Amino acid sequence: MLTRIAGGRVVDPTTSRDAIGDVWIEDGRVVAPSERTPDRTIDAAGCIVMAGGVEVHSHIAGGNVVLARLLLPELGVSEPDAPNPHGSGRDVGMLYARMGYTTAVEPAMPPVNALATQLELAEIPLLDRGGLCVMGNDDQLLQLLRDRESKEAVRDLVALNVATSRALGVKVINAGGADAFKDGAVRFSLDDEVPAYGLTSRTILTGLLDAVEALKVPHPLHVHCSNLGLPGADDSLIETLAAAEGRRIHFAHAQFYAYAAVDKDNPLTGGFVSAAPRIAEALARHPNATLDIGQVVFGQTATISLDILRQFSGRKAASPRKWIVNAGDAEGGGIVPFRYRDRGPTSSLQFAIGLEMMLLSPDPERTILTTDHPNGGPFTAYPRILHLLMDKEARDREVAAHPKVAAERSGLAAIEREYTLTEVAQLTRSGPAKLLGLTDRGHLRPGARADIAVYRDQPDRTAMFARAHRVLKDGAVIVEDGEVVSWTRGHTLSLSVEADAGMARRTDAYLQGRFGAGLSSFTVPDAAFPDREVFEAVSCRT
Amino acid sequence: MTAWIDGQAVERDAAVAAAASLLAGAHAPVIAGLCAEAAAVQAAFDLARAVGASLDPAAGAALYADLGALASGGAMTTTAAETRGRADLVLALGAAPWSSGLLAELAADAPGRGRAAGQPRALLALGGPGDGGIQHVSYPAGEAGLPAAIGLLRGLVAGRVAGPHPFADLAARLRAALYGVVMYDPAEIGALGAEMLNGLVKDLNEVTRCFALPLGDAHQGRAVAQVSAWSTGQGPRVGFGRGYPEHDPWRFDAARQAASGEIDAALWLASLPAPLPSWARTVPTVALLGAPKGDEARVVIGVGVPGEAFGAALWHPRRAALAWHAADPVPSGAPPAAAILADLRARISAASPAPQPERSASC
Repeated sequence: MLTRIAGGRVVDPTTSRDAIGDVWIEDGRVVAPSERTPDRTIDAAGCIVMAGGVEVHSHIAGGNVVLARLLLPELGVSEPDAPNPHGSGRDVGMLYARMGYTTAVEPAMPPVNALATQLELAEIPLLDRGGLCVMGNDDQLLQLLRDRESKEAVRDLVALNVATSRALGVKVINAGGADAFKDGAVRFSLDDEVPAYGLTSRTILTGLLDAVEALKVPHPLHVHCSNLGLPGADDSLIETLAAAEGRRIHFAHAQFYAYAAVDKDNPLTGGFVSAAPRIAEALARHPNATLDIGQVVFGQTATISLDILRQFSGRKAASPRKWIVNAGDAEGGGIVPFRYRDRGPTSSLQFAIGLEMMLLSPDPERTILTTDHPNGGPFTAYPRILHLLMDKEARDREVAAHPKVAAERSGLAAIEREYTLTEVAQLTRSGPAKLLGLTDRGHLRPGARADIAVYRDQPDRTAMFARAHRVLKDGAVIVEDGEVVSWTRGHTLSLSVEADAGMARRTDAYLQGRFGAGLSSFTVPDAAFPDREVFEAVSCRT
Repeated sequence: MTAWIDGQAVERDAAVAAAASLLAGAHAPVIAGLCAEAAAVQAAFDLARAVGASLDPAAGAALYADLGALASGGAMTTTAAETRGRADLVLALGAAPWSSGLLAELAADAPGRGRAAGQPRALLALGGPGDGGIQHVSYPAGEAGLPAAIGLLRGLVAGRVAGPHPFADLAARLRAALYGVVMYDPAEIGALGAEMLNGLVKDLNEVTRCFALPLGDAHQGRAVAQVSAWSTGQGPRVGFGRGYPEHDPWRFDAARQAASGEIDAALWLASLPAPLPSWARTVPTVALLGAPKGDEARVVIGVGVPGEAFGAALWHPRRAALAWHAADPVPSGAPPAAAILADLRARISAASPAPQPERSASC
């Protein structure tokens, strides 16, 4: 069926397109303008037309997301006509879709829990999904590195884990930190040693950076650095960037590292000021690096992280006062409920720093919008955040409502920049799609997947982005005027990577010894999803 | 034959039609048991949403003790594999750990990873029967029972109990361990005991590392909790009677609902063995069973046993995760419960539109 989305303001930063025009689609793909009469015309007059939004870092599936719901039954509660971003996968899919998002990636899939994570991802309707396989605290990898095995062996183990868990990429979370925590550590930095292995965090990170490059994984290594959220965490991010030595690297939720210590000699006692300028400057000098923000917004949430050392350290700030640390196999996971107080000085400063980072961005395609859902707050805050980025006046009003410290310790108030629609599309479409290596989305060029969001152009950008006028997934209309009209199920994107048979045999023996269950127990076969074709293959870089 | 109506063997299609009719005509159906592979549990949740049913797993009591404690105060936990690899001290609470098989394994080796590597592993028992074949130090729980003993131990560990006490030595050992693990069965110690245990473990982590190791239930309860969480945003028990999921462990207890006459039809799902509740013979019930006799309920449909008749995602107690269980080399042709449940949903949805969510009144 040939469809013409007619007369909208089409915004596609990858072709510098921002003009009134048409977008043509056929068989689920964007096609060149046609001479033929369209079978269907979608009137987009008065609307903005963009590619569907792409989420790179949102905790929407997996053991810790489940645990957060069990810890906080009150947070995940369902109410009629009020889908809940902390609720079911169905609600998550619906809420993303109506904002015009069509792809979302869960960044923390431990290989030991891949099957459950993939089953859960498959229950998120409307979107294409993907998961990143987490490595860096697992005994098998740490043994290889400790025993100074070859780079090829590390590469093969990473490939095997990606293939077995059917992941889209690889993530490392405070490399070695969870292991150090199990041995009593409460602080851990890039050059600290994991006690039981005699390996520094840097060594583990470097091993994984090399492996991801060698395998030509499209998405660079997705890195959660050490010292998240602490004054002086900016040093961790900058040191980690240097450790990449030019290799591609993605920094997750960078806002939580943009905290320069006020008192460098006593970093934990003097509070923090914004390090957004320092990080923006570093990003400008390092084209190999990308980051997502992890914007803080206000209200009750649950922080969910596999960085159990950090979650344990943060336990005393839990609100309400209950928390979970599961020191399980490899990372395990930690859940600490938290309320970002909208008149609280610290929360307000964090909020200001996130916005400042995006507004200082040398390249919005490399500073992707996330709230690290639900860690900085729910993803449903995106429309309001985009509004603030686009509207200096609205921003000034917002900042004026917060404690003075937010303006004094960040540079936000002085920034005049207002994001254009093109920059918004870079931040939420072309940037994240490029980052994930998904060449078929994030743009509207012929050949693109027909994942398209049509928004009514209105001055209230919050309203505009919160409820899209139309959303198309693979060419089919799934949302009309902010309501889901077709419950399609999307696919889970998984990387096509060959696993080495020798490493598979070796790993099977290792897993048997450790768990009494071999490699087949850890697989995610198609048969786990009866009567559905869930997975869609993504190729490695050539 | 693999299907029965009122104890009489029938074609499967006739049984499925009867089951669909029974459920479609019900005002307040319940789907219970849920002792099955993840795909079937998922299909049961999908069916419940479509027919407005409540859901109650067979694992109820054991699962609830843990979930209740978790929602009250959280926990610090570990896994069996980490315990084997790292623990220099294991405390077995009550009787259940002694029949788990894991204690014998733990007694046979010593920690090999982490800072306790190379140390011997101490096995301690509180309130358990012990095992003459396993070397351990035993502490009696005392007359007040196991949950009270855990509370006393917590007080001692935190320095809140003055004077000499029979558990003083146990408290000192826990504080001195490098990686302690406390094994327990939530069904045995109950929600209050589990909550006290979680507090004890958290207190210990102020000075060392110590974690709780819950023994899983035998009826896929932990898998059901996961499917429930992602399907409804909540743990079990849940009900879809109003068109959207509501979490209420008391209200949606199938036995309570059956006793009080609140339900008028039921579907019992047990592709793996689970004790059939007595109400299955009084409430009009459809039973999907991996090992059917035919007279268990009004409608009985035989289904394949997961991990034998076909590959399936099942709870793996040792891994404490959903894990793939491959089919037998020569699988039987019995249908998966998930397919029957999907068939039921399709038949019922075709016969009547989905219930609309109840909307709150506006003024």
